[in-house]
Amino acid sequence: MLELQRNVIFGQYIDAGSFVHRVDARIKIVATVVFIVASFLIDSFLGFAVVLPLLVLIQVVSKTSLGYVLRGSRFFLAFLVFILAFQVLFYPGDVPESGYLWRWGILSVSNEGLYTAGILGLRVIFLYYVTTMLMLATSLVDLTNGLEQIFGPLQRLRVPVNELVLVFVIAIKFVPIFIEEVERLARAHTARGVPFDEGGPITRARRIGRLLVPIFINGFARADTLTTAMNTRSYRGGRGRTKLRWMKAGVADWAVLALITAWMVAAWLV
Amino acid sequence: MTSDGVPPILELRGFRYTYLEGTPRAVEAVRDVSFRINPGERVGIVGPTQSGKSTVVDAFAHLLRVKPGQVFYEGHDVAAPGYDRQALRRRVGIVFQRPESQIIEDVVGADVAFGPTAAGLSAAETRERVEESLNTLGLPYPEYRLRYVHALSGGQRRRVAIAGVLAMHTPVLVLDEPMAGLDPRGRHELLELLMRLQKDRDLTLIVCSASLTDASLLCDRFVVLDRGSVVADGPAREVLREPDRLAGLDITLPEPVIAARELRKAFPDFPTELLTEEELEAELVARLGAS
Repeated sequence: MLELQRNVIFGQYIDAGSFVHRVDARIKIVATVVFIVASFLIDSFLGFAVVLPLLVLIQVVSKTSLGYVLRGSRFFLAFLVFILAFQVLFYPGDVPESGYLWRWGILSVSNEGLYTAGILGLRVIFLYYVTTMLMLATSLVDLTNGLEQIFGPLQRLRVPVNELVLVFVIAIKFVPIFIEEVERLARAHTARGVPFDEGGPITRARRIGRLLVPIFINGFARADTLTTAMNTRSYRGGRGRTKLRWMKAGVADWAVLALITAWMVAAWLV
Repeated sequence: MTSDGVPPILELRGFRYTYLEGTPRAVEAVRDVSFRINPGERVGIVGPTQSGKSTVVDAFAHLLRVKPGQVFYEGHDVAAPGYDRQALRRRVGIVFQRPESQIIEDVVGADVAFGPTAAGLSAAETRERVEESLNTLGLPYPEYRLRYVHALSGGQRRRVAIAGVLAMHTPVLVLDEPMAGLDPRGRHELLELLMRLQKDRDLTLIVCSASLTDASLLCDRFVVLDRGSVVADGPAREVLREPDRLAGLDITLPEPVIAARELRKAFPDFPTELLTEEELEAELVARLGAS
């Protein structure tokens, strides 16, 4: 059985009603940006070790099951291991002769290669984790409103903020729908004698390839329907649109942002 | 076992299923469903949306991670280790709600040939099956075999999907909402075709629907599901004898039953186990004649 929904949680929102869920969406978005910047600045194992307790804290406070997040990241982690293996084997940097652990033609395993791949891996996992957590703990409505308000001032420069945010949100929203669709198609094909639940990983991947044409056709049809629905409901972008609920960041929200920023600066400086 | 010793062709024993079990998004779709279907029966699985119909259908062909001891085909546990799932899928043919989803090839002939080829039939046999299936469904073989599936109308695509399943010569045919989206003529044609096929091939026919009307045209036994449990199971007329319970569910009752329920206001003991308008008329004439 192809159970993609279990193994891909990207773009999902789970309302666990925790403190992390209640923090102002704008604060969470800015905090995520702080995390992203920090992930590029931190370049030592010690720095990432300093980051770890904060991530543990977020995980615990968010009341989201760690097992669920890990299982939902299986495909991502498998892909990452694959990429990192290449990074190690084809390490392009300078390596002193004593640094090589193994060498065969252009392939090699060196201390420097392992170190770089390790840092890169941690960086990508860190990035993936904070963005996944942002989406798991922030409803799409809050995410949309938050982004619109953060980038609102750009509207004066004639940047179509609302439209851009809408496109971004729809793109995210389509990921789980696509995943469900792939599962449904795979079930129907299995019923007709394509054994999705048998064979090695490559055979399975080739079978999924067969689903591409119907998935794209359905995707375009869905986009078409959405456009029609938006037109019939007179969507015309964000100009002149008012909001029923304005977001208000409180002291706790700002404290969260201050804590995260300070923590990241500390991790960068160690 | 049935009285004559033949095991039921399909059986659910305390079947339960939860989607995404063990995650925060878990949804319990089927709670505790048990029923048996004997070879050659025509069973309608009826229930509103979210009642668990499609989950039950998927379980028949082991398309879900079914737990052992819950789903049986000809007396064999389909979830037992080493059970040949591919063989099961060659015996239980399913026409899904959205026929597009089960079409594999781009060209009509190739798609109908997919199942027989995968089952290991020779090219000549496969060709024969494809021709027979397409002709049966009113899609003449010479005219349609090279047409592109995606260029066909919705009704034609459904026929291609059914042809693809028929070509497998499965003893069990399951149809999930077969009438949805068809015009009255298309419904009528499909109905006649299914009745004829069922008789000719002695099929076990299972029809899933939110409409008792659709199911009553094809089936003589109903299994009514609601929120993942069986609320009624029996011969069609017996199930219709208690229409008040059915009316509480979000399903479409047959027209004569709706009329009979109204007539109960005038004749409190008016029967509701009526399947056709003729039966309703006869009953009404008899009542009016008597009064």
